[in-house]
Amino acid sequence: MKTLIRNAALGLAMVLATGLAHAKDVQLLNVSYDPTREFYADVNQTFAAQWKQQTGEALTIRASHGGSGKQARAVIDGLEADVVTLALAADIDAIATNGKLLPADWQKRLPHNSAPYTSTIVFLVRKGNPKQIRDWGDLVKPGIGIITPNPKTSGGARWNYLAAWAWASQEYRDGDKVVDYLTRLFKNVPVLDTGARGATTTFVERGIGDVLLAWENEALLTLGDADTREKFEIVVPSLSIKAEPPVAWVDKNVDRHGTRKVAEAYLRFLYTPEGQRLAAKHGYRPAEPDKVPAAELQRFPNVKQVTIDSAFGGWKKAQAEHFADGGFFDKIYRPR
Amino acid sequence: MPSTRTRRSSVPALAGSALVCALIAAPVHAQSKAPLTVEELARRLQAIEQRLGTAPAAGEATDANGLADLDQRLRVIERKLDLQAEEAEARVASTPVVSLSAAKGLSVKSPPPGDVELKFRGLAQADGRFYIDDDAFPQNDTFLWRRAQLTIEGSWGPLLAFRLTPELAGDSVTLLDAWADLRFNPAATLRIGKTKAPVGLERLQASNATEAIELGFPSELAPGRDIGVQLQGEVAKGTVSYVAGVYNGTVDGRDAATTNPDNNFEFAGRVFVEPWKNAANALSGLGFGIAGSQGDKEGTGNNFLPRYRTPGQVQFFNYRSAVIADGEQTRWSPQAYYYRNAFGALAEYISSEQQVRLPTTGANAKIENTAWQLLAGYVLTGEDAGYRGVARPNHPFTVGSAGWGAWELVARYGELEIDEDAFPVFADPNAVAQRAKSWGVGVNWYLTGNFKLVANYTQTDFDGGAAAGADREDEKAFFTRAQFSF
Repeated sequence: MKTLIRNAALGLAMVLATGLAHAKDVQLLNVSYDPTREFYADVNQTFAAQWKQQTGEALTIRASHGGSGKQARAVIDGLEADVVTLALAADIDAIATNGKLLPADWQKRLPHNSAPYTSTIVFLVRKGNPKQIRDWGDLVKPGIGIITPNPKTSGGARWNYLAAWAWASQEYRDGDKVVDYLTRLFKNVPVLDTGARGATTTFVERGIGDVLLAWENEALLTLGDADTREKFEIVVPSLSIKAEPPVAWVDKNVDRHGTRKVAEAYLRFLYTPEGQRLAAKHGYRPAEPDKVPAAELQRFPNVKQVTIDSAFGGWKKAQAEHFADGGFFDKIYRPR
Repeated sequence: MPSTRTRRSSVPALAGSALVCALIAAPVHAQSKAPLTVEELARRLQAIEQRLGTAPAAGEATDANGLADLDQRLRVIERKLDLQAEEAEARVASTPVVSLSAAKGLSVKSPPPGDVELKFRGLAQADGRFYIDDDAFPQNDTFLWRRAQLTIEGSWGPLLAFRLTPELAGDSVTLLDAWADLRFNPAATLRIGKTKAPVGLERLQASNATEAIELGFPSELAPGRDIGVQLQGEVAKGTVSYVAGVYNGTVDGRDAATTNPDNNFEFAGRVFVEPWKNAANALSGLGFGIAGSQGDKEGTGNNFLPRYRTPGQVQFFNYRSAVIADGEQTRWSPQAYYYRNAFGALAEYISSEQQVRLPTTGANAKIENTAWQLLAGYVLTGEDAGYRGVARPNHPFTVGSAGWGAWELVARYGELEIDEDAFPVFADPNAVAQRAKSWGVGVNWYLTGNFKLVANYTQTDFDGGAAAGADREDEKAFFTRAQFSF
């Protein structure tokens, strides 16, 4: 019997050794929203090199991009994200609440409510602004084609919607009029893409519509190309919203993968001078601008912004009132 | 300008182009009645928008600039078709794939990467058994369900695979295969549960693939299904396969009991080599190997000492009832097969040595029983033969057409010899035979890839086994089988 146990233990050890022989490289999966492709490609390359230098480990960071709401649903349904870098806190809240994959107070774990960079909503119009679109009120004029993604699937679209709502609330100071304004606005939307990048494609490449409601970083990225700069320009509205795309490591997944340490380091890297500089480079407003040379911040104009907390009582409330089934958006928008 | 853009599907682009063509190339009869105008195009575009469900709301203002407005509306249609195609693509990517086919049965596969899969397999064998000239040892001619199995197998992620096969053909439901595999890599898979012990070559063949209706003599000495843990895998580009495991232990020719009956375990292993497996030459179908088992058995009765049967399923040997297994049992078995086009042959030898004791006299001995067989088959219709069975018929049988399925002829010769030391102390020479020699021929008619009819004739003669040292009467058995499997 002793011989049996010894042999069995030896065999098991061999099997485990065989399995573990493949565990040399470290992999991270970053599940992100639509317009962050270029930013995180840059971050991933820089951080992987830094990690290799610090630890000697070869780090491969895979990225998945799509509409923020869809991405959150995918993580809840089993996409094994080590970190999520989504468009809004409500989507990560959903992962915490519905997926139980990270604690409810995840937003307190990193500085600035876990938002290492911010953005805002601006208008991208065709060069020369032929339809004379200056502010939110111009969007509901007859014959204006507005391109914005679907708030049900896109985080950026929800920021667009809330920015419009915030402006209308200040403008009309009457709930019915605000709803009427949003209804007329969405009547001018001929196509609802599922994500911000798709909406940019609709407006820029397919030539549909007169104005794109866009993340500032997406608009700046679009104008980064000389040819495109000839065809489009940015209009900054009188009021916008401070979009705070948050980041978090997914506790259950990193513990299962053994990647907690590298996942946390990856997200903390975003707060370093190098991470903040990369954010600015890709059109995101650094959460800690003092870490970035002033010259690199000049392209961000001063915009009067409301916050989700001040104007809507936080994401939980905004989500329930506006975007949940039966919320304001369902009343405002009827698919054609 | 963002470098990554939504991929433009060719399907909507084509659809959009088709719409343009449809708009510009007006029907002949329409052209003959009215000239082509922007208004006419707008009217037809609106009709298409309504059919696609993309029409602007009633009373919604449109640009008065005629062609520019048409252009925008057409672009919107094109984009919506793009989005519909993307949505359909995404739906496909997140929808499990259910497939049902005669060749592969029913399976359900998770969306990409498709590493969760359930497969449902079935095997039904309806046999007829007829004994000829069986006056001295009469046997019942009978029809029976030999096997009725429904297998659920599959994978659950890249690491875990499993199989569950209940046998429904007996008087009660039994569990045949019930195992889980941990697939570390092709060279190392850990199998836990109940599975065929890795010793007998023909015994290890799938039940729906054996060329004869019943197994030959060597399988009577090899262990059946056993419960335990085994490490298995393939190395050297699949040319060498191995299995090594520890099991509860089972008696020759039978499946293991539900639990270990004697607190002793049995080790078993097998190495099988197919050196030219990956080559395209005359030896690519040659495989040979060695298998064996070793362990102690202590006890009396059917769970410890074997009863041997002929290929006609008639028992011709058992130990005296007072004999007990009392120590080491060792089996070893050199084995080989060769398949080349329509020809297939399988050969194996096995030795099973067991320490036995007769408590009433204190006599003890190591009894070594041996068996061997040579089995060969040829597919007359030219389909490839193989260890996993004959390939699907080139021309399945179809009523009223030229297809007659595949036809295979099979022949077998085998012997089983009981150790002389077993007689007369441990076995009664007037009741059980000391040696059996059997030959048989058969024909397999594969009507389709899923259904075959089989007929076997087997004749076995014996040394001893009858009163006063006489030879037991020859056994002449005619078996038939109808098999459905998927």
